[in-house]
Amino acid sequence: MTSHVGRLYALALAILVFFLTWAAVAAHPWATSATRDPRIAALVAREQRIRHESVAVRRIVNRRWAVYRRQLHARQAQIVAAKHAQLASGPAPSVRVVTLAPLTITRTS
Amino acid sequence: MKRHAFRAMGTDVELLLDSENGAEAFAAAEAEFERLEALLSRFRDDSELSRLNRDRTLDASPDLLHLTELALDARERTGGRFDPTVHDALVAAGYDRTFELVPRRAEAAAGTAACGGHVRIEGTRIELDDGARLDFGGIGKGFAADRAATLLAAAGPCLVNAGGDVAVRGGTWPVGVQTARGTLTLELSDGALATSGRDRRHWRRGGHDLHHLIDPRTGRPSHADLIRVTVVGVDAVVAEVWAKALFLAGADAAVAEADLLGLPSVITTKAGSTLLAGGLR
Repeated sequence: MTSHVGRLYALALAILVFFLTWAAVAAHPWATSATRDPRIAALVAREQRIRHESVAVRRIVNRRWAVYRRQLHARQAQIVAAKHAQLASGPAPSVRVVTLAPLTITRTS
Repeated sequence: MKRHAFRAMGTDVELLLDSENGAEAFAAAEAEFERLEALLSRFRDDSELSRLNRDRTLDASPDLLHLTELALDARERTGGRFDPTVHDALVAAGYDRTFELVPRRAEAAAGTAACGGHVRIEGTRIELDDGARLDFGGIGKGFAADRAATLLAAAGPCLVNAGGDVAVRGGTWPVGVQTARGTLTLELSDGALATSGRDRRHWRRGGHDLHHLIDPRTGRPSHADLIRVTVVGVDAVVAEVWAKALFLAGADAAVAEADLLGLPSVITTKAGSTLLAGGLR
């Protein structure tokens, strides 16, 4: 009886040791990072480069957008001014402030 | 210099003519005021304007048609600050009869009415949307002043002053403008000026001071920080329109807009300062 139980423990232990060893070997603990797949390394480098480029492109786009917005506002102001000038129905007549006594007075109508 | 004065359109009208022969021209100018008042007064039940407001549609005379077109054009030009559809808002505020008859004080609060109703013109026919009624109180005086000045000009250099709407033809004319501290004299030639303000046609309702310058955006008398605005324009209609539009804009915006448009303006604020704008120095 004792030897039977002992054999079962020994078998279970052996199976456990076998799987642990298998897992340890499969993990390649002896491999270093220097031996990473060069294609992955290239992809990682490319990803970082694209990330930096996209930041730079975004900066350029933002700068150009700001310039465009400024120019658009200036142009819109010019259009409004031109429209207003047209709306005012032509140039105002000649008028100046003088020190003469008035012939008539304009009051609130 | 000949002078002729009479009363029309609820205000004092003064005609000045730099000529020895002016009797006929004076009579023609006065008759023109009376004719236009009979067409354009909202206080006369038989006026063409009253018929339009009552019937909602009308085959209009050339003058009513032209003035309606000018007023609608002005509404567009001023972004709605000048609006001929303020009739109901004026009535709601208490200005429901000629100003001489408007009670200066009453306990009942004033009401309000929407402005900006649609007005259609097809050929000579004017159609008003429900709720839209027209008032040509201010612009009508400017229109009449321009017409009278044109008639008078046949006799010589002239000036027409219709209660603040001044039109001149020929010569140079010193015209006084009321400011916060007295009178400023402007020398004007071939053009017009008009003054809009809250200091003359005002009354009290329900403990509130009201006046006739309705802000179409609210349907109530304007709360702008100004007492009056005088604007110089090519004619009295333009000057009248912009005087009201600048008044409703308030002091800072009025100065900026007058400068932008090149509209010589004298702006008197509630705080008691007088601002010159639009190239006036």
